[in-house]
Amino acid sequence: MSFLSLTTVELKKIRRSWIMLILLIPVVIMWIPSVIYGDMNFDTRGIPITPENNFFIQGFMGMVWFMIPATLVIGTVLLTQTERSNNGILKMLSLPVSTAKLCLTKFMVLILLSFVQMVMTVAAYYICAAIASSMLDYNFFLEPLYVFRVALSIYAGAIPTAAVFWMIAILIHTPVFAAGIGLASIVPSVLLINTKIWFAYPMSYPFYLLMVEYGRCADGIYTSEIDWLPWLPTAVLITVLALGIACIRFGSVQKR
Amino acid sequence: MTLSLEIKKLKRTGYFPAFIGAGFIASAFPVINMLARAQTFTALSGDPLTILMDANWQMMAMINILICVCGSCIMYHTEYADNGLQKMDVLPVRSGALFITKFVITALILAIIIVMETAVLAGCALHWFPGRGLSLWELLKTAGFQWLITLPTVMMMLVIASAWKNMWISLGIGVILVFALSILPQDLLILNLCPFSSPYQTYAMAVQNDRVSLFLILCPVETPGLGLLEMFYQKIRRCVQ
Repeated sequence: MSFLSLTTVELKKIRRSWIMLILLIPVVIMWIPSVIYGDMNFDTRGIPITPENNFFIQGFMGMVWFMIPATLVIGTVLLTQTERSNNGILKMLSLPVSTAKLCLTKFMVLILLSFVQMVMTVAAYYICAAIASSMLDYNFFLEPLYVFRVALSIYAGAIPTAAVFWMIAILIHTPVFAAGIGLASIVPSVLLINTKIWFAYPMSYPFYLLMVEYGRCADGIYTSEIDWLPWLPTAVLITVLALGIACIRFGSVQKR
Repeated sequence: MTLSLEIKKLKRTGYFPAFIGAGFIASAFPVINMLARAQTFTALSGDPLTILMDANWQMMAMINILICVCGSCIMYHTEYADNGLQKMDVLPVRSGALFITKFVITALILAIIIVMETAVLAGCALHWFPGRGLSLWELLKTAGFQWLITLPTVMMMLVIASAWKNMWISLGIGVILVFALSILPQDLLILNLCPFSSPYQTYAMAVQNDRVSLFLILCPVETPGLGLLEMFYQKIRRCVQ
């Protein structure tokens, strides 16, 4: 089977899983306080930032540090648990499809889900910016190209995170541990973002990218340049390693 | 009888090790924080326990909430996975009692990890703030208060977990609630009293704002209130199914 047809099969499996609703709700919730407290964007507390940039960054803040990694954890639970009921995964593994391919398509679906969430986030941003603009009589819109670039970079930064969570979900068969480790690992990213070893901690990548964007909009808040050198090789290495281990170990418990 | 039965069910799910592990992770926060930036905190004046709680409790409480979310999901996941709950329904066991025992187990294990965390905080206070005074009574009050205000969250999460057969939906709703109440402004009293938001309060903060009695009255009311909701829900579901 080709990669594409396998992916469509995987998408069919999660069709009735309500996952889209779970992706949509946080996107809506995150903009509610931004709209209600829209006038707070003018009170920048001495930070040199324009209100429209402030609106954009503050709105994304909670989403990026907690909700993006958390949705990835929920996605891994979804992808591993749907097939464990009634031993669906056993039937999949007995098909003449390589397990590594199966593992990678599932990972692709995970990435696809977070991509869908990204599109929803950007759409919600524009709707809320329109509401806030008409409420406060101030233009909160930013250029679509800029918004898409930032959102895309943040979600691209979440790929290594997704790879690590996927590896955890495959290696640890007990769902409470897999989900627990995933969720618990999100919390310290707030602390690690300000240390020198942030680049070795994949859960902090999306947050780091948003903070860099914050640094670009407002001088002196955070660094305005991405430290490509230790980061990019480490991120690639982590992603490849995590996916490699996941592919090797995929289905090993069932095959015993 | 149901209590020992429930504990047996959880034996191979990794439930108890997961809670203890979460307790260790949460306890690591103050220690690492003090190891890394002891100067910043020892320079502050005031009660050492309050300083440590202010610096670390937000994250520790978040870990506690997250493990309660995961734990509740797994409790009901084991029931739903192979239609276990249907089998329980035909046994001479009240389904309400099943829910209550699940709550009791979570509340007890939560008490253990909160005591653990408070002990570590006390250890940090003794080690990094020598001679600043630390009363056992104060510690016990803090631990008890933190435990009590986390209980509505535990109850609500169990209600959510019992409502959905699929684990990712209950996990998703739990995580969304954690997220929603962490981004809403923290200075509104009504929001502070909600489940998923109340555990972030610290005892010292509540004393300062004169809200201890408010929390001590409302949280023990919220908890059985949510429990009643579950009983109603079970009745309705029995008719619909």
